[in-house]
Amino acid sequence: MATSTTAVPLEEAAPRRSEGQWAIVFRRFRRHRLAMFCVGLLTALLLLSAAAPLIAPYERDAPNLTGRFLTPMGRDADGGLHILGTDHLGRDYATRLLYASRVSLGTAFTATLIASTIGIILGMLAGYFGGWVDMAISRFLEIVATFPTLLLLLILSSILVQNINAVPLPAWGASFLAFLFAVSEREARIIFAVILVLAFFGWTGTARLMRGMVLSVRENVYIESARALGASNVRILFRHVFPNALPPMIVDFTLGVNGTLVAESALSFLGFGIQDPTPTWGNMLGYAQSYMFQYPWMPLIPAMPILIASIAINYIGDGLRDALDPRQRG
Amino acid sequence: MAGYLARRFVQMFLVALVAAICAYGMLYLVPGGPIDQLLAERQNAGQNRITEADIRRVRERFELDIYLPFRFTRWLIGWPAGPLPGGIGADWQIGCAVPGQVRLRYPDGRVEVVEEGCEVPVTMADLEGRKVSRGIVFGDFGISQVMLRGRPVTDLIMTRLPYTLYLMGTSILLSILIAVPIGVYSAVRQYSRFDYIMTTIAFIGASLPSFVFGIFAILLFSVLAKNAGLPYLPPGDAVGVRDYTIPLIGTVQAGSFLDRFLRFLMPCGVLTFINIAGWSRFVRGSMLEVLSLDYVRTARAKGVAERVVILKHALRNSLIPFVTLLAGILVALFSGALITETVFNWPGIGRLFIDALGRNDYNVVMALLIINVVLLLIGILITDILYTVVDPRIRLT
Repeated sequence: MATSTTAVPLEEAAPRRSEGQWAIVFRRFRRHRLAMFCVGLLTALLLLSAAAPLIAPYERDAPNLTGRFLTPMGRDADGGLHILGTDHLGRDYATRLLYASRVSLGTAFTATLIASTIGIILGMLAGYFGGWVDMAISRFLEIVATFPTLLLLLILSSILVQNINAVPLPAWGASFLAFLFAVSEREARIIFAVILVLAFFGWTGTARLMRGMVLSVRENVYIESARALGASNVRILFRHVFPNALPPMIVDFTLGVNGTLVAESALSFLGFGIQDPTPTWGNMLGYAQSYMFQYPWMPLIPAMPILIASIAINYIGDGLRDALDPRQRG
Repeated sequence: MAGYLARRFVQMFLVALVAAICAYGMLYLVPGGPIDQLLAERQNAGQNRITEADIRRVRERFELDIYLPFRFTRWLIGWPAGPLPGGIGADWQIGCAVPGQVRLRYPDGRVEVVEEGCEVPVTMADLEGRKVSRGIVFGDFGISQVMLRGRPVTDLIMTRLPYTLYLMGTSILLSILIAVPIGVYSAVRQYSRFDYIMTTIAFIGASLPSFVFGIFAILLFSVLAKNAGLPYLPPGDAVGVRDYTIPLIGTVQAGSFLDRFLRFLMPCGVLTFINIAGWSRFVRGSMLEVLSLDYVRTARAKGVAERVVILKHALRNSLIPFVTLLAGILVALFSGALITETVFNWPGIGRLFIDALGRNDYNVVMALLIINVVLLLIGILITDILYTVVDPRIRLT
């Protein structure tokens, strides 16, 4: 209707202060209710795992052979309350689950971070420089893509875990990881071996995606302008190409964390990943499977966090994908 | 086309060779391995002390007394199996049965024994009469070192293969039959309640690890159903050992058809569910893309029945990307589902791999790995060729 123009006070009609790109993304993301809820869930999990040594009610590996297989909320002979019960050695399940969250989530995040960094750098080099650099990287990618990932993951992991001294990790690295995961340095070496293996097979998808993004970004006029202004390759790559190719990488990283989390759980579940005294969701589930006929609640306890974390991370990735898509308005 | 194929075959052979070398080196360069495993098992079995001669015999059987490059070529192409024709090179040393030992005496009185040199060398002539595989290139995967001592790996694979084929074949077939209609219906009724529910289930199904599904299935259909006195499913293995009674069904004889069928249901169901979750999303996505194309609009505009538009015009074209999944399907058919087979204790190829790796039976591990790589390469080649068949715009050059 032509007559419906309403009078608007001048101040409000004035153009809003322009919103930054990330503010727009955040505003869009917040509208995705389910994703916001999942961010809350994941944050809670991360906080709990960060605070594991502080809030864990018992010692992580303290066995109690008189109080094995206690039901959730059960009490052992000394009257100690076990909120989630105890495992086959009488170790407190809640305590182990807290530490396991730290190991599982930490491994997933670290491995994906390494894999994504490698993938982004190689993808950027291949896409930006083209020529023989692109040839070499792309061929290598193709070869790695024909490897049966799960089989090699299992083989490599089982070899490295059996020969922990072959893992290239300096002492300071071991003590840093030990601090990060709240484990001993020996355990940190095994965790690092698993991280290495996961990262080694995790970067190919990211590299391919990044290469494609860079190929399209580098055709933009602003790249040409930057070059005309005399910017160096390094400056163009990090100042102009990287930020503009970043959004899909964020989604890729999120989904990558889930992939790595599931892969680590599978490795540890099958017994070729992180080994027993170190708890992870996967190996706790592996042990619980042997006892599930007498104690059916046991596998549920480590399975739940895998379920929650996995679905939450995927929904967050979904929300981020929507929020980062420039074709969507609002 | 012929030139293309020839080039592809050479390329495939090279990739497979690189994979073989990498995997072989990886497995054999690290300490530990089959000999340690075997010795540990003997010791656990309470056998007498292991003598030097024992170790030498075991080393000989596993060819650990031959240097790595020769061991590799023997494994790859079955050479060298003895001296060259005419007895040339009969005294060439290609291995060491007993390493020489040197006593190092330190100034502070400490004595250390280090291996140096070779006391009893192995020559080409010694190889004569030893069992040797014809080489994996010619389809002989050698003997199983730990699992079936002395029997060929091929036997071991052949006893497991039927189980994997039968499980994977059924579940893949079922998955396609269910996933395609679901995907099509979801796309046609986009944002309907059906679509919403299906995409949510598919989303959860695709993001969860299969062992969690497997364990939940066992928990629900075996443990809880049994405890509640309802008809339940046996939780693992392909064939039962003892007869058992199931409420409402009665006594099931171990090894009967019913027993096999009941044990088959859960692993097959879990695999099918996971496949459907992935594939229905795939079909939905590609169907949505095709439905928005101009020729579909044209078909509708000229009055073609909606049924025909969807089933003939849209569905056929939307299944073209599905061809890319074929490579994975071919591999899955023969190499099985590692995790699901392990959870359900299904005696297939996937389970074999896990067992062999756990017991350091490297010949079995290597055989399965190589078969997997080769199948994957063949699958990719078939996919590329099929692409030209279903989409004539693509040419192979």
